[in-house]
Amino acid sequence: MRTTRVFTAVAAAGLLALTGCGDGGGATGGSGPGGIKPPKIDKLASLGAGEGQVNIVAWAGYVENGSTDPKVDWVTGFEKETGCKVNVKVAGTSDEMVTLMKTGDYDVVSASGDASLRLIYGGEVAPVNTDLVANYKDVFDGLKLKQWNSVDGVAYGIPHGRGANVLMYRTDKVTPAPTSWSAVFDPNSPYKGKVTAYDSPIYLADAALYLMKHQPELGIKNPYALDDKQFAAAVDLLKKQNELIGEYWSDYTKEVQAFKSGNSVVGTAWQVIVNLAKADGAPVEAVLPSEGATGWSDTWMISAKAKHPNCGYLWMNHIIDPAANGAVAEWFGEAPANKLACDKTADKNHCTTFHAADEAYFDQVWFWSTPVEQCLDGRTDVKCKDYAAWTQAWTTIKG
Amino acid sequence: MTALSTVDRPAGDDTIAARGPVRRLSSWLHRHRGARLAGLLSAPLLWLLVAYLGSLAVLFVSALWTVNSFTGDLVRQPTFANFRTILTEEVYRTVTLRSLGVAAAVTVIDVLIALPMAFFMAKVASPRSRRLLVIAILTPLWASYLVKAYAWRVMLANDGPVDWLFGGAGNGPGYGLLATVLVLSYLWLPYMILPIYAGLERLPDSLLEASADLGARGGRTVRSVVLPMIVPSVIAGSIFTFSLSLGDYITVQIVGGKTQLIGNLVYANIGAANNLPFSAALATIPVLIMVGYLVAVRRSGALEEL
Amino acid sequence: MSEPAIRLTGLRKSFDAVEAVAGVDLDIADGEFFSMLGPSGSGKTTVLRMIAGFELPTAGTVTLAGRDVTRLAPFDRDVNTVFQDYALFPHMTVQQNVEYGLRVRKVARAERRERAAAALRAVRLEGYGERRPGALSGGQRQRVALARALVNRPAVLLLDEPFGALDLKLREEMQVELKAIQREVGITFVFVTHDQQEALTMSDRVAVFKQGRIEQVDTPAEVYERPATPFVAGFVGTSNLFEGETARAVLGREGVFSVRPEKIRLGGAPASTEEISAAGQVVEVIYAGAATRFVVDLDAGPRVVAMQQNQQTSPADVAALRGKPIRLTWRAEHVVAVPVNPR
Repeated sequence: MRTTRVFTAVAAAGLLALTGCGDGGGATGGSGPGGIKPPKIDKLASLGAGEGQVNIVAWAGYVENGSTDPKVDWVTGFEKETGCKVNVKVAGTSDEMVTLMKTGDYDVVSASGDASLRLIYGGEVAPVNTDLVANYKDVFDGLKLKQWNSVDGVAYGIPHGRGANVLMYRTDKVTPAPTSWSAVFDPNSPYKGKVTAYDSPIYLADAALYLMKHQPELGIKNPYALDDKQFAAAVDLLKKQNELIGEYWSDYTKEVQAFKSGNSVVGTAWQVIVNLAKADGAPVEAVLPSEGATGWSDTWMISAKAKHPNCGYLWMNHIIDPAANGAVAEWFGEAPANKLACDKTADKNHCTTFHAADEAYFDQVWFWSTPVEQCLDGRTDVKCKDYAAWTQAWTTIKG
Repeated sequence: MTALSTVDRPAGDDTIAARGPVRRLSSWLHRHRGARLAGLLSAPLLWLLVAYLGSLAVLFVSALWTVNSFTGDLVRQPTFANFRTILTEEVYRTVTLRSLGVAAAVTVIDVLIALPMAFFMAKVASPRSRRLLVIAILTPLWASYLVKAYAWRVMLANDGPVDWLFGGAGNGPGYGLLATVLVLSYLWLPYMILPIYAGLERLPDSLLEASADLGARGGRTVRSVVLPMIVPSVIAGSIFTFSLSLGDYITVQIVGGKTQLIGNLVYANIGAANNLPFSAALATIPVLIMVGYLVAVRRSGALEEL
Repeated sequence: MSEPAIRLTGLRKSFDAVEAVAGVDLDIADGEFFSMLGPSGSGKTTVLRMIAGFELPTAGTVTLAGRDVTRLAPFDRDVNTVFQDYALFPHMTVQQNVEYGLRVRKVARAERRERAAAALRAVRLEGYGERRPGALSGGQRQRVALARALVNRPAVLLLDEPFGALDLKLREEMQVELKAIQREVGITFVFVTHDQQEALTMSDRVAVFKQGRIEQVDTPAEVYERPATPFVAGFVGTSNLFEGETARAVLGREGVFSVRPEKIRLGGAPASTEEISAAGQVVEVIYAGAATRFVVDLDAGPRVVAMQQNQQTSPADVAALRGKPIRLTWRAEHVVAVPVNPR
């Protein structure tokens, strides 16, 4: 029990320090002042021989060995080449990932921004010696040493890829084409009953982002750091939005179908959903609205207790290898981390479609982070609402 | 004859006893009724204790814990915080009432559909078509629940078949509470028809004839004889439809639009929020409702006639 | 003469390919205790069910007191039925069961009470009103069923093997009781049974059914003494049938003849004009309490059964006769000619 509390304090303090200087689209990162550091864990000095296997915790679709689709396989080759047999455990949520990594049974994890810092400050993951990851040099600079994958200039992970939650709409039903999230938040929206939203507490950040631009008097600086008043405003906005909602989505096939049938005509989506809907013949387009957007950026991290560190490093190098990174980015529908991956994708426009090199695009994106009591935007005079509060509020919003 | 058999029996017994350990064991079991019972019941009882009561106990205990919101660790200090939240936050009351309403509506709709169907099957149809009807009602149970729910999602889609039934795009119920009730009624209908059908089959035809013979027309017979007699069957069916509806979270996700029921809250708190204790606390609501329902049913005496 | 209580004309009923009732014409007089007797599957119950309205005839008509009710539903006919399984409503008390018909017909509460009480009194079940059928014995249930039917004061009461489930003693008691009740209420009773003893003891008239047709309709005495067909002779009581060769050999006559076992005496003088006698050998002696049955193989061929009251003989005496030669004697007037082709 005591260790938990210490970790919390340490983590919170570290977060303060880290995010103190973040002002823009959440893409700033790196070192900050402040003496509190994550537990001291040495990074691997040199690469040895593979241990014969590696245990991975990953999002669905990140570790594919051809069993889902024979054409989708970037694991078999790796196993042959390195002799590291890949054992994968698919996690459904960031929370599940954190829980699994705590067991110490896993070597590598693909952590999103709302899990990575908890792993770093919890001492679950070790710093990464990027010199031992040959492909690291080809990673977009916009992804290196960011607040969610590094502390004080020390890399704690290898960037995997990123994407934004965009605004998708039916071109035949929504005119003029929307340029602002007000399309889904305006109480007088003509699309009442046909608006959709992501079914997760983290969607509160979308409302906060909207308020950040439209109600500056609330003083929201970071959509993941909301004090009581700001939080209440965001909740209120979403409760009003609930009147407009036809359905919330968490299953992307469901959203594709809803847009195709016209049950939903406007709402938040992932790029992969936009592409699938288009491929399905739905007349849809997507924009990054003027307010910017929320999004995700995932990081491969290695466990501090890894039993197979060498195979873990080999995997981290392999997954951002241009071919593998391009394949996984295409399969999942996101921007790859490796610039060279853009030449390896089957669809030559993939990197353009997903704005892989478009830093200006990602400057507008607030990557998912876990809201904690100690405000992520650096305020110390107030307490912010933590994720548990977000979860309960989300229930209330849906009513 | 009698004389012969009395002479025969002891001799036969001896040869049986001499025949080997299996025979010896079975004859020992034959003499020891308690041991026989224990052997028969220990496995199911163990199952009941460990798998069923055990998991229920864990559910209630874990409902008293909390979760550290940053690290996701369980805090194993008993507190009623979860229950306090559930009781004080209005949204949980709203959702509970909505879930109850859905379960009740589904049950009523299923009873209304099942009664005439089951009656037709049990009392009107020829034996041949009766078999076909039973098969027709059972076949949907072979299809996956998810497939059926998604099929309804397509049917209820904007401009889909249901919309056309109502005269064009957007005229149907669309996704939402109504669609949830509709689809759940469809999904659980066999669980209502089958017990009522079984109950009606047990109901002797002569009772219906006696009622008609005494001057009662069809409606009167149904009201005074059929319905009172199949109340236990209807209650058995309603336990299925009610509890299945009360616990559902998938159908409502697929066709419920933005509707949330207790099941969704339980699922969301395990899945998205990793808050098992709060889920457990929420899950006690349907458990308590069902216990209350069963107690009420027991009071009414309907269970004794099952 | 007034209209008969029940008139059946050309009544037929087929179930798929099977003809259960193959043309029945019958008049049942008002106030008559009428039995329909026959083996199972002979169509007697189907006829009863067509009178009640549970089955619609394939052809023919049912007329109740001059009114054609062939196509009317059971609830539109002035008849009530006592079912073989009693068909009491298990969820109602005895009182509610008995009142059911009155309640359905919207008889006022006070009158309902009074008539139900009277009906229960008539079947000797006062004080049982609050019980449920499940708490009653078979005989009591039987009487509730009777009360439930009688309370409606129907013109005709139909009884479908009402004593089938009762043991012999209770059955005999109920037979007496039912007959008394019928005399008291004076309405027409149509009684279906496969028990010839029951039919003979209770009825004013009996119809004997075979394969969907009526073989004979007459008073019990006539049916017993003068069976109209070999089937009736065999089904109602035991009969010794003589036909063809044996008829010629034993009786010296041409045709089919029946002699009842109790008419045959053991011993006796050789044949005369008034008496017929035949020699044979006792094959089996069956002691049956009040009487003993002798199975005798006549020298002339046929095997016959003779019955003797155990008035003076002891079981040992009669048992000693087994295997012995014997002479049988009966009066010529007890030889009944049975028409071979009736109707």
